[in-house]
Amino acid sequence: MSNKTLLLLMGFVAFLILVVGVIGVVAIAGGGGDDTNASTGGIPKATAKPKSSSGSGGGGICQGKSLIVPGNDPTSQLDPIQVADVDTSVYIYEIFSGLVTLDKDLKVQPDLAKSWEVSADGKMYTFTLRDNILFHDNRRVTAKDVKDSIERAADPKNASPTVKAYLGDIVGINDKFDGKAKEVSGVTVVDDKTVRIQLIEPADFFLAELTYPVSFVVDVQQIAKDPLNWTRKPNGTGPFKLAEFSPTQRIRLVKNDNFYLGAPKLDEVVFELGGGSISTRYENNELHIGFVPPQELASVKDGSSPLAKDYKPGNELAVFYITLNTKQPPFDDPKVRQALAMSIDKENINEVLLYGTQRVATSFAPPDMPGYDKSVRGYGYDPARAKQLLSESKYAGKMPRIVMNYGGSGGSSPDILVAIQKGWQDTLGVTVELQAVDPAAYLREQRRGTFQMLSDGWSADYPDLEDFTGKLFRSDSTLNLTKYVNAAVDALLQQARRETDRTKRNGLYAQAEQKILDDAPVIPLFWPVTHTLVKPCVKDYPIASMTIERYRTVDIDPKGN
Amino acid sequence: MSPGLTGYVLRRLLWAIPVLFIISIVVFYMLRLGPGSPVDTILGKQYYTPEQAARVEAKYGYDKPIYVQYLKYIANLAQGDLGISTRHQNFTAKEIIVPKIWVSTQIGIVALLITFGLGIPVGVYAALARGTFIDPLTISSWLLLDAIPPFVLIPVAQWLFVLKLRWMNLTYAGVWEPNMLVPILLIGLPGVAGVARLMRASVIGVLNEDYIRTARAKGLKQQTIVVSHITRNALLPMVTVIGLSLPGVAAGALFVETAYGIPGIGRESLQAALAPDFDVVMALVLLGSFLFVMANVLIDVVYAFIDPRVRLGQARGG
Repeated sequence: MSNKTLLLLMGFVAFLILVVGVIGVVAIAGGGGDDTNASTGGIPKATAKPKSSSGSGGGGICQGKSLIVPGNDPTSQLDPIQVADVDTSVYIYEIFSGLVTLDKDLKVQPDLAKSWEVSADGKMYTFTLRDNILFHDNRRVTAKDVKDSIERAADPKNASPTVKAYLGDIVGINDKFDGKAKEVSGVTVVDDKTVRIQLIEPADFFLAELTYPVSFVVDVQQIAKDPLNWTRKPNGTGPFKLAEFSPTQRIRLVKNDNFYLGAPKLDEVVFELGGGSISTRYENNELHIGFVPPQELASVKDGSSPLAKDYKPGNELAVFYITLNTKQPPFDDPKVRQALAMSIDKENINEVLLYGTQRVATSFAPPDMPGYDKSVRGYGYDPARAKQLLSESKYAGKMPRIVMNYGGSGGSSPDILVAIQKGWQDTLGVTVELQAVDPAAYLREQRRGTFQMLSDGWSADYPDLEDFTGKLFRSDSTLNLTKYVNAAVDALLQQARRETDRTKRNGLYAQAEQKILDDAPVIPLFWPVTHTLVKPCVKDYPIASMTIERYRTVDIDPKGN
Repeated sequence: MSPGLTGYVLRRLLWAIPVLFIISIVVFYMLRLGPGSPVDTILGKQYYTPEQAARVEAKYGYDKPIYVQYLKYIANLAQGDLGISTRHQNFTAKEIIVPKIWVSTQIGIVALLITFGLGIPVGVYAALARGTFIDPLTISSWLLLDAIPPFVLIPVAQWLFVLKLRWMNLTYAGVWEPNMLVPILLIGLPGVAGVARLMRASVIGVLNEDYIRTARAKGLKQQTIVVSHITRNALLPMVTVIGLSLPGVAAGALFVETAYGIPGIGRESLQAALAPDFDVVMALVLLGSFLFVMANVLIDVVYAFIDPRVRLGQARGG
C-alpha cells in the first residue's frame, strides 16, 4: 500500500462518515424525498418497464401489457396430478386446462369440451371437444389425450395424492390405482372429438370435480420423452405458457396466442417470488397487485388511507375451525364439546383482535358456497348454558389434561388461540394448553389421529357441499379427522351424494350439517376474507373465492388511473 | 509450495474426510429421526392415506432402513448427485443450491471487501490517533452501525431509500444492479467496527516494538513507517479473521437476503431447515463443514507465506 493510497482511503472513510451522518439527519428530519425526486435506481428488468417516479396512479407500471404480481414458490411439481396446494395450483390453472372450468362466480363452464350430455340415469357423461384446441406446441388435442391424461393420473406408479379423492367416482379409477386393472374402464374414446365417462353412481357434483387439476390434459408424449424435467417447460393447453422458472426469484408466463377461447389480453404475467416487502413494492409501483398490511387495514377500510381506492376485499371459500377428536377424552362426551363451542366470543375476537376483518362463522360451510343455507346454525356465545352443560358432563370436576395443537414453529401462540384459551379458562374453568407443532408433524398427527384438538382450516377444492360437509364428516372418509360417527348423518350424506336434483341435494346437506353442528365435533370460528390491493389501471382482475384461471381476461389500461 | 507444506495440506485435507463423514451420518440420522418425513413434505397439505404414503416412500426409497438410505445417499454424492428438493419439486437439490451460493458469494465478497477495506484503515487511523478524542470518535461512530440490529436497520433503510427518497426499488433483478448497493452496504458496514477495533489493537501492539523505534531512529518518514512497518506487521493477526469469515461469505446473509428477497443461500438455508427440505439441508451442512475445514487450512498456508517462523512442515498430525 503506498502512502497516497492510505491517505486516499482515510479521506474516503471520513467521507463515508459524513455521508452516514447526512443520511441520518435526513431520516430524522423526514425531509428530502417527495415525489419530485426522480428515480436514479431504476432497474433494467428482463421485462423492461420504465419505472415510475410519481406515486399517484401507477405511472410507468401501467404502460405495456406486463402484469407484475407477488407470487409464491410452487412446492409441488407443475404437474396437474401431483398438485395439492394453492401455491402451486395458481400456475397449474394458467398453464393447463381441463374439460370444464369455473368462472369467477364458480359456475361450471365449458373449456376443452364445448358441450356435454348426461344420460338419464345420471351415470354417463359424453363430452364433445372443441375443434380448435391445441397444445402449446400446436399439436391438436384429441379425445385420446383426455383419456391418456386420466389413465396417467390413475397409474399407481405416479402416486398421485389427489386422484382417488377427485376422480374416484369414475368406474375403474380405484381398480387401476390399486393395481387391480391395467386400464380405467370408465373412460372411453368414442372418436377424435368425443370422450365418454362412466360413473359408479350418479354424482351431481362430478362436473365440479372435473374442474380440479387432477383430470387436466397433459402431453403424455412430452412426458414419455422427458419424464424427469418436463414440468419445467410443460406443454399445456392453457391460456399462458411457462417462459421462465427461477426458484425463489421469478416465474414468467407468456400469453398463448392460439388459445382456443381467444388469446389473453396481457403479454405476460410475472410472478415475483423474491424481492422486498410486498406492501412497500406495491406503494413504490413495482407490483400491480398487493395485500393490505394488517396494521393498515383500519385506515384502508374507513377510506383515510390513499390505498383505500385500490382495496378489493374478497371472501374465501374456506373456514377456520377447531377440530375435536371425538375418540379422545374428554371430547368423547358431546356435552364437553358443546360447552367449549358456546364459550368462544367470536364477535369480540373478530372486533378486537382481527380489526373486524374476518366474518364470524355461524355455521361450517361458508355463505359463498353454492347451496349455502343460512338457517343452519352452530352454537352461539352462551356462557351460562356452557357452564350448565359442562356440569352435566361425565368429566365435570375431573377434566383430563387438554392440549390444542396448531401448526407453527414455537414462540408465542397466535392471539386468536390465546383469546379462545382464556375464554374457556374464564367461563368454564377448563385449562387448555396450546402447543405448536411443526407443519410436518402436524400433518402426521392429523393422519394418525393422536391429537385431542387442532386449530384447523379447510378450503374448497371445488364449489360443492360434497367437498365440505360430505368429505369431512362421513364416517368412512379419510378426511374425517374428528372420527365423528353418526349413522343419521352418514345416511343423509350418502343420499345427498346420489341425489341429482340440485335443490333437494342442498337440502340434504343442510340437514346433515345441522345435525353435525348440534353434536359439535368441530367449532367453526371464522370465514376468511382476503384484502387485496389492485392498481387502478388493472382491469377485470377477478377477486374469486377459490383458485381459478384468473389472468386471461385481465388487461392493463394506461389511461385507467 | 515446499514439500513440507504440500504434505501438511494433504494431511489436513485427509483429516477432513472422517470429519465430514461423521457430520454427514449425524445430520442424516437427525433429519430422518426428527419430526416429519420427506413424504409429508412431498405430499403436502393432503391428508393422505397410509397406502398413498407407502407409494411415495417406495418411489423415493424412503421405505428402506436409514443406513441403506444413507449409503445410497453417499453413493449418489460421490457421483455429484445431491438428491432432490422436496420444497422445489421441479428441481434437484444441486439446481437449487448452486445458483444461490453463487449469488451469495458475489454479494459476500463485495461486502467483505467493504468490511476490511474500511475496517483496516479506520483501525490504523484510530491507533495512530490514540490518546486524542479522534480515536474513540472514529471507532464508536462505526460501532453505531454495528450496534443497531439488522431487523431495525433494514426496515428504516427500506422506508428511507425506497418510499421516501425513491432512489431504488425492491424488485430483485440481479447482483450487479444499482439497487443492490444498499443491501450490500447493510451486510458489509456493520462489520467495520469489529475489524477496526482488532486492527487498532494490533497496530498499538506493533507501535511498541523495537523495530518501530529503530525505524524512527533511522529518520524514516512517518508515512513510510506507517505503511511499510506498522501496517504490514499489524496485518498478520487479521489473516485469521479474514480466513474465518470466508465460509460465511458463501453462507449468505440471512436477514438482508430475506428482507430484500435476494435469492441467496442464507434465505434458502432458513427455509430449507424449516420445511424441512432434507437433501438440501444435508448438502448445505456438508458444504458448510467442508468450507470451514478448508478455511482453516488456507489460514495456515497463508501464515506460512507471510511469516516464515510458522513452520508447517514440522507440524504433526495436522
